[in-house]
Amino acid sequence: MSDICAILQRDIYPCLPPSLSSVLKAVPADIMSDTYEIRLRINQPLALVVPSGDVLVNSQGLPVAAPTEAYCCSREDLNRTLQIMSRNSVYALERELQQGFLTLSGGHRVGLAGQTIIEDSRIKTMKCVTSMNIRLAREVKGCADKVMPYIIADGRILNTLVISPPRCGKTTLLRDIARQVSSGVSSIGFKGVQTGVVDERSEIAACLDGVPSMDLGRRTDVLDGCPKAYGMLMFIRSMAPGVIITDELGRNEDAEAIKEALHAGIAVIASVHGRSVSEVRERPYIGELIARCWFERYIILGNQPRPGALAGVCGKKPEEVLFQAKRG
Amino acid sequence: MWLKLAGSVCVVAAGASIGFKLAMRLCERPRQIGQVISCLAALKSYINYVTMPLPEALKKCTGGMRGPVADFFHRTAQILEERGWVTPGEAIEEVLASSSGELALGRHEHEILCVLGANLGLVNREEQYKYIGMVEGQLRMIEQEAARLRDQNMKMYRYLGICGSLIIVILLI
Repeated sequence: MSDICAILQRDIYPCLPPSLSSVLKAVPADIMSDTYEIRLRINQPLALVVPSGDVLVNSQGLPVAAPTEAYCCSREDLNRTLQIMSRNSVYALERELQQGFLTLSGGHRVGLAGQTIIEDSRIKTMKCVTSMNIRLAREVKGCADKVMPYIIADGRILNTLVISPPRCGKTTLLRDIARQVSSGVSSIGFKGVQTGVVDERSEIAACLDGVPSMDLGRRTDVLDGCPKAYGMLMFIRSMAPGVIITDELGRNEDAEAIKEALHAGIAVIASVHGRSVSEVRERPYIGELIARCWFERYIILGNQPRPGALAGVCGKKPEEVLFQAKRG
Repeated sequence: MWLKLAGSVCVVAAGASIGFKLAMRLCERPRQIGQVISCLAALKSYINYVTMPLPEALKKCTGGMRGPVADFFHRTAQILEERGWVTPGEAIEEVLASSSGELALGRHEHEILCVLGANLGLVNREEQYKYIGMVEGQLRMIEQEAARLRDQNMKMYRYLGICGSLIIVILLI
């Protein structure tokens, strides 16, 4: 509980205007400790997302049932929040606004929605931000303990794809995997390898001025804010990693870079949005990698009984189930 | 007699000092406007090419400069750093209000800086670049006018200070 309170004090409250931070500071600690998202929408109640659903709070920070009694976010609240998060420098966030999110110090991702401006069929920028989703990142050391024996076999790291719907702990798991493959896992006699993390969204390492603020182990190099495809190729050419770890694959370039890494004999551990291997197999580019058996392990995460729970582990052929969580 | 002489010297000294002070302010104004313009040129580069966050850019744009103009940029940056929820416009207004004695800038320049603050950090790089460029252009025109006023009136204020005080002394004696 103290962890999340410390995270909020350190990373989140300084990024909010006094009108919002004073409300959140007054919310009971047991609610805040369960919160994994803070949602702000213009003219809508301030909502805290907890595993059981949304909690609305009034201006004194107390939970209320009726939306009319809840603290209502104003346009000024959102404008000020964006202003503080961008440090009065919206011009420095052009790429982030095009992608619809920005990352705060501490690795917390803030999703944005509003009015987009299109130029040459591409999103030029976003103006009038009307919604924000502040996703609280947590460092959970040891959350990968259960999956490490599946990822490492005979001292070799297997190419692994972590599959999970949003908000089920992909990034948290990847972070702990990075820490363990880098520092070694004594319980299975693994000494650790040079690890490269391509952190396109600055979420895995949560770098501050290029220095990771999360523990990623002593043999980890981080390319912060670098597009995955470029980053993987840069690592292959220059840093000789034993394993490359990256988040949220999706584009054709990502799939091509993964092929390059695997051809170069470098293991890859990556994540992708999805609920199951069969679902991800239907997606372009990544589906092709699965069909050709490029990955040797599939780690599937779920949100039952809690977000981040290991739902299953599959082998090279997705039909080969190595672990299946008990239902109910 | 000695008392009259001492009083006269004091009156002349006071008048001359007022005249010289006004002349110096007149001389200082175009110089400070020029400094603001060069700071804005550097700020434009830090924003457009380095995409440096505004507080850092405001600090660095003074580039070793000292004096009231550098203090103005540094204090604005400090407010933005310490109180993140304050907008650049509010920070600039606050600094201008507290440093009007040190800065030799006139009402027009104050207005231009406030308008600059209202639009600083809110738009993309391209627009920010254009906007600061426009403000620079406006300040250049004011600088020329201020230089003309300086050349025209600086000596006049000095003479007026001395001569005016001498007239007062003659009238009093």
